[in-house]
Amino acid sequence: MGLDAATITDGLTDYLSERTGGEVAVSGVHKLSGGAIQENWALDVVMQQGDWAGEHHLVLRCDAASAVATSHSRADEFALLKAAHDAGVIVPMPCILCDDERVLGRRFFLMHRVGGIAAGHKLARLTDISGLAGELGENLAHIHSLKPPHEDLAFLGEPPDNPSTAAIAMYRGYLDELDVAHPVIEWGLRWLETNAPAPSDVVLCHRDYRTGNYMVEDGHLSAVLDWEFAGWSDPLEDIGWLCAKCWRFGANDREAGGIGSREDFYAGYEAASGRTIDRDSVYFWEVMAHVRWAVIACQQAARHVSGEERSLELALTAHVVPELELEILNMTEPLNA
Amino acid sequence: MRDQPSGKDLLDIARDVLRDDLIPALPDDKRYPALMIANAMAIVMRQIEAGEEGSIEEQKILSDLLREDGSLEHLNATLASRIREGRADGVEIWQALRGVAAGKVGESNPRYLNV
Repeated sequence: MGLDAATITDGLTDYLSERTGGEVAVSGVHKLSGGAIQENWALDVVMQQGDWAGEHHLVLRCDAASAVATSHSRADEFALLKAAHDAGVIVPMPCILCDDERVLGRRFFLMHRVGGIAAGHKLARLTDISGLAGELGENLAHIHSLKPPHEDLAFLGEPPDNPSTAAIAMYRGYLDELDVAHPVIEWGLRWLETNAPAPSDVVLCHRDYRTGNYMVEDGHLSAVLDWEFAGWSDPLEDIGWLCAKCWRFGANDREAGGIGSREDFYAGYEAASGRTIDRDSVYFWEVMAHVRWAVIACQQAARHVSGEERSLELALTAHVVPELELEILNMTEPLNA
Repeated sequence: MRDQPSGKDLLDIARDVLRDDLIPALPDDKRYPALMIANAMAIVMRQIEAGEEGSIEEQKILSDLLREDGSLEHLNATLASRIREGRADGVEIWQALRGVAAGKVGESNPRYLNV
C-alpha cells in the first residue's frame, strides 16, 4: 500500500509524542522526487519535550513499494549513516530508526534535511565548483578510514580476500540469471579476470559514490547520500566508480564525475587518507564500473520486461546498455587490433 | 496498404508536439517523465527506420565468427560462454563485438558515437 502525507503526519505525531513524552507537531509532509528503491519524504517537526526539543527539518526514508534484494535494509542504512557520520563524513545526520511496522506500515528512519542539489545533469553544468572534486576526495578518504571488523557494521558480512575476483564472480552469477546472453559484458569480465591487479586493501566502500548521489550547496559538498550498496571492498572501486566516463553526465572533460578534474579529486583523497592512488589500477576499476553498471542495467531492464515491475525508467535503462558495452570494448581493445 | 503518414512519421510529429508545446509548459517535477517519453519515442523511431537489418547483420557476423548456424539467441549464448571460458579473446572477436555494439548504439543513443 502506498504511503501518503496524512498517514505520515498522523503516524509520526503519535510515535514521536510517545517517544519524547511531550507534544509534537508534524507539518509540511511532502514526497521528494527520485528513488526507485526508497521513498524520501520531507517534513518539519516541532517537539516540546525531550532531548530534541525545538524545530527540526527532517527527511523520512523508507522502502518504496518494491525494493531490490541486493540493497540494505533501512536499519542497516541507518547504521552506515551513523558510522560514516562518526568518521567525519559529510552525511545527513541520522536521528531515529523505527523498526515497528505498525507505525507507518513499513520501517523507516529520520535524518536531518540537507539543502542543495543532487541532480547529475545540473551539477555537470555548474561552473563555480572548483573545490568540489577535492572535497569529494577528502570525504571518500573518511569513508575508507572505516575498516573491518566493525561492530556496528557486522551485517556487511565477511570482507572478501580479493574484492575484484569476488566482484567478477558475482556479476557472472547475475548474468546467468538473465534470459539472454551478453557477450560484450562477458568480454569485459574476461578482460577484468586477466588484468586484475593485486588487491590493495579492504575498507568500507560506498559502492555508489558518484555524481547524482551527493548534494551540493553553494558550490560545496553538503551530504553523501544513498548508502544502500555499501560494503567491504577495494578503495579503488569507489575511485573508479566516481571517475568512470559513464557517470560524467556528458561533461567528459571533467573526469571526476563530470564536476572537476581527476587530479583535484585524487589530491583531496591522498591528503586526507595518506594513501597514494595507483593510477593504473584505477583504470581497471573504471572498466569494472562500466561492467557493473551494464549488469545492473540489464537486471533493471529484466524487472520491467518480466512484468515484475513495469516502469518507463527501467525500460529505458535497457537502452543505456549498448553505450556501456561500446565503452567496455573501447577500454579493452586488444593490443594487436 | 496502410494509409500515410507512416508510423514513424506519426511518432515524429507527436514527439515534436510533446517537446515543443507540452514539456515547456510542465511543472518541474513532471519534466523528467516527459523527457523519458520523448526519448522512448525517439528510440522507437530509429528502430522502425532501421528495421531488422541490424539483427540480420549481427547473425551473419556471429555465424561467420563461430562457424555455426542457429538463432541469434543461440549464437550469442555460444559466444558468451566461449568468451567466459577464455576460448574467444582474439582481435576478430573484439572487432565483431564492437561492430554489433556500435550498431545498437546507433539506435539507442546515436549521439554517443560522436563522444
